[in-house]
This record gives sequence, C-alpha cells and structure tokens, in this order.
Amino acid sequence: MQPPIPAHIASIEKPEEKLLKYYVFQALATTIAFPFTMIYLYFHYHTMRYRFDEQGIRMTWGIFFHYEVMLNYARIQDVHLRSNALERWLGLARIEIQTASGGSDAQMTLEGLTDHDAVRDFLYSRMRGAHEQPVQQASPLAATLVEVATELRLIREGLEKQRHG
Amino acid sequence: MVNWIQLQLLQALCVPPAPEPPDGSPDSVRIFRAGENYYRLRLVWWALSLFPMTIVVFAVSMIPHARKFGRLPYWLRFGVESAAVVSWFLLIAVIVSTYLLQRLNFEQRWYIVTDRSLRIRSGVWSLQELTMTFANIQDIRVTAGPLQGYFNLADLEVRSAGGGAARKPGETDQHTAYFEGVDNAEEIRELILDRLRKYRDAGLGDPQRFEAEAADSAETAAQAVLEEARALRKALLA
Repeated sequence: MQPPIPAHIASIEKPEEKLLKYYVFQALATTIAFPFTMIYLYFHYHTMRYRFDEQGIRMTWGIFFHYEVMLNYARIQDVHLRSNALERWLGLARIEIQTASGGSDAQMTLEGLTDHDAVRDFLYSRMRGAHEQPVQQASPLAATLVEVATELRLIREGLEKQRHG
Repeated sequence: MVNWIQLQLLQALCVPPAPEPPDGSPDSVRIFRAGENYYRLRLVWWALSLFPMTIVVFAVSMIPHARKFGRLPYWLRFGVESAAVVSWFLLIAVIVSTYLLQRLNFEQRWYIVTDRSLRIRSGVWSLQELTMTFANIQDIRVTAGPLQGYFNLADLEVRSAGGGAARKPGETDQHTAYFEGVDNAEEIRELILDRLRKYRDAGLGDPQRFEAEAADSAETAAQAVLEEARALRKALLA
C-alpha cells in the first residue's frame, strides 16, 4: 500500500509562470522565426497540465493537436534532472522521465517546476526498486540446514569413493 | 586566484552544491569522482581542439608582415591589422574561459552509489543529473580507448532497459549512466554487481540461481537437505 501523494506534489497542476519567461528567451534564440516559435510556445505553456495521482502522472497539452501522456510510477526506469544556466537563473529545471519503451528520448518532460528537487525525490520514492530491501542474509536455521546438507553430501561422496576405490 | 574565479563562475551560473545521495542506507553511500588523470586527458583534448584556431590567428597576424602588404589601400590594411589584434584577444579569452571550464567540468562530477540506486551529476553550463534504481539496470559495460588506457582511465556505462541507439559519453543517451573517466572502474563495477546480486528481480542474472546460492529461506535449505538425504539413501542401496 503506497502512502498518499504529498500535498505539495498533488497540488502541481500547471507549470510556473517563469516558464513563459524562459520560452520568450528560447523563442528569441530562433531569431527570424521568433513570432512563430513564440506563438507555439505561448499556447504550449497555457495548455500544459499535470496531474499526479496514486498510479502515475498524466500530462496534457496542445490545442489543434491535443496530446495526453499517462505514465505509471512503477514503470519509471530513470529520472533525469536537467537545466541550463538560463533555467537555473529563473529557478527552473526539467525533469525527464524514462520508461523502458523504445526510443532514447524522454517519455515525459515535466517543465516549469520550481520545486523540481521535491518532484524528483517523490518520483524516485515511487520507482520500482526504490523501496525494495536487499534479500536478507540466510537465517541461522537456514544456515544450519545448509551445513547439514553439505555434511550429507560429503558422506555420500565418501561412501561412493569407498565403493569405487 | 583560479579558485576564486571558479567560485564566482559557479555562483554566476547558479550551479547548485554537491548532489544529495538518493534514499538508501546511509552506510552504503559511496561517492566516486573522476580520476585525476581525467583532467589531464581533458587538457590534452582541449589543447588539440584549440590548435586549429591558434593556427588561424597566427596566419591572420602574419598578413601585415607580407612584402606586398604596404601596397594595399589604407582601409584594407587597417581592417586586417585590427582583425589581427581582435583575433588575439579572442584567442586569449577563449583559452582562459575554456581552460576554466575544463577544470570545472572535472570537478563538477559526482557518481553516487547507494544500496538501492545510483545518482550521477555532471556539467557546468548545462547540468545533468540522473537517478536510476538497481532494480532497473540491464547491463554494465567498461570501455577504455587507447588514450584513456594510457592515462589509466575507463568509462563505466550502466544501462537500463529501453530502446534508442547508444551514443557517445557527453551526449544524451538517456538510458545510460556514464561514470566517465574513472580510475577505479573495476572497483565500481564489482560494487554495483555485488549490490545487484542482492536483488531477486534485478535486470542482471537469473533470480532462481541467486535464490539457490543465497539459500535465503529455511524452506530452500530444508529442501536441499531432503534432496541430499534421498541421494544418500540411493547411494546406500545401490
């Protein structure tokens, strides 16, 4: 039974406003394509929605082409936290989530999160293997039984050697 | 002085301090760093990459010394001489800044291994941090090129499941954790393999084999005793 989603994670529903500022810089970098890039990024920002539920993350975006991605926590392979200097100046970072499906690109990229470290830790806590305890060492009873089995084997081998010898 | 400049640069670029280890047993946390020779190797590549630019700057600054240079119009001579001076300043700026980045790139690398997962952080301008649990690891690879071999270094690649072509270190193959330029790759590999063996369903190996080897339950061990007792009876009656 998984613990409930922490309130500060469950309350994340859309990217922070700082992401729009970052998109402006990103669009400026495309020089003459600025108006087109900016229009796309503007709507991308305004339609981006996140939902963290018990099973996984749901992310939707787009107007003309509507996208919806659902990803189960247990299927997460690895979590990347990436940021360039501009994003860090704005206090942002991208969380890229990988599953085992094809392609080397991220299956989901969570953008515009200022509390990115907390989200990363939350995702890590729900990943397969994060809570799994290593197999316990043999119990004293098991260890004794293994010794008994070894003794029996040695007796059998000795007996067989005597017969063949 | 160099340290002070580096510190200012890290602050200006908002680079966060050393990464926190992922959740796991605190006693199991091992933090590895790139080998000291990795910095030397980076310097070799750095010097080689600057070579073409240096040649070009030298060539530009030699133009005003050509015999027929004096016959050129004044504006052209002025332009070439200015370009020569500017290119020298540019070259020095590039040398200094890229040299500092080499050192920072070497220092800003953490390879953290816990009992459950690993976390790798690298980069200065563009920062990457990867967290991967052992339960998802598929294979481990150690590679070393001739130059790395000379410097006694190797890259350790830890891969999780998923498609996509493997790329070179430094690029974004998102399913691979790179322990780049380590001088103890064997030790790290053994440590990861040792911790992987403790998982029944980790990506590597056959879970049943580990179960038998570890004899982790009394039931398994009792089964082994029973089998041996039967074999002994057969041997006695034969």
